[in-house]
Amino acid sequence: MRTTVALGAALAALSLGYSTAAQQVPADSTAPAGSGGANNPALVGSVPDAPVPRLPDGTPDLSGVWVGAGPIGDISSGLMPGQQLALLPAAEALMKSRMAADDPEARCLPTGVPRIAPYPWRIVQTPAFGKPTHLFFLYEGNIHSFRQVFMDGREHPDDLEPTWYGHSVGHWEGDTLVIETVGFNDLFWFDFVGHPHSTQLRTVERYTRTKFGQLEVVTTVNDPGAYAKPFTVKFTHTLRPGWDLMEYICNENNQDVEHIRGPAGL
Amino acid sequence: MKIAATALIALAVLALGGPAAAHHSFAAQYDADKPVTLKGVVTRVEWTNPHARFYIDVKDERGNNVNWNLELASPNYLKRAGWSSTSLKQGDEVTVEGSLARSGANMANARLVTFPNGTRVFARSSQDGG
Repeated sequence: MRTTVALGAALAALSLGYSTAAQQVPADSTAPAGSGGANNPALVGSVPDAPVPRLPDGTPDLSGVWVGAGPIGDISSGLMPGQQLALLPAAEALMKSRMAADDPEARCLPTGVPRIAPYPWRIVQTPAFGKPTHLFFLYEGNIHSFRQVFMDGREHPDDLEPTWYGHSVGHWEGDTLVIETVGFNDLFWFDFVGHPHSTQLRTVERYTRTKFGQLEVVTTVNDPGAYAKPFTVKFTHTLRPGWDLMEYICNENNQDVEHIRGPAGL
Repeated sequence: MKIAATALIALAVLALGGPAAAHHSFAAQYDADKPVTLKGVVTRVEWTNPHARFYIDVKDERGNNVNWNLELASPNYLKRAGWSSTSLKQGDEVTVEGSLARSGANMANARLVTFPNGTRVFARSSQDGG
């Protein structure tokens, strides 16, 4: 009897859920990551209405699994008020030449910074001898990789070779974690529409856990090799209490690229 | 009880039906203006990244089997939503609603899958963020 009732309720909700969901999903969805399924309450879990947790030294504790959301389709949609993208002519020409199949992320290569993939990622803060030494972003995807942020006060080295995630050093300004990164390669794209950058790219990311379950990241992108002036974009990540990361090996069966057609776009 | 479990899985999957971006632009790979409904028999399931895939034999007008390649969400999304690698099995007769690949191949995104028991669920393809 109990099973029957549960089944009946499930089926009733099922039909209701389907019709509602079907109406809400646009035929050609390009909305930012996390705006739909990733924020589904049934999967998000219960987020405590509690103060932002803190480490013994008083700094906010950012650890946990987050799902990223922000302007990954077109970075210009995440610009802070008054900001604009001022592409230099060569960068604009490069962007116009890009084909969708050439987006490194579609080819299972990293997103770089500030782009995030719509997959869960975990922040790990590692204190040693009572002081923070490193902070790691462990990405489930895409790709299954990590970012390393040095929290021990070191400077950027002057002999950096360009890499996908660059060289990151972090410090706290009040309750905001500030991460400065240099040493990027010019291979990753900022978004699906193919906004480019150069190896002169420098980013300053400001992470603020505005609520127990919310992490805002305001990133200033300064790249005189591709943009006439810096610009600032915002991403907002949401906590997934109780989630664990899972394995995600993007390249084991990537059939997408050979079927992607046309210029870079949404 | 088995049926109830299936219904709950369906609920979990249905609830995922919102827009989000995957690791590539949906519109670059599939044409939302070319919807397709395919009914056929599962020949193979690939529980792999970046997308789980399954293949079905569909009878054409002359009665010949044509094999179609169908995209699901990533295995992790599916797993969190209640699917498993055995939710679809070889020999299952299913109906798939999706959009055709732009490449012209016998490929589509499996946005909605109707299982042999009639349960119709979102499969969170790249159209919906998988």
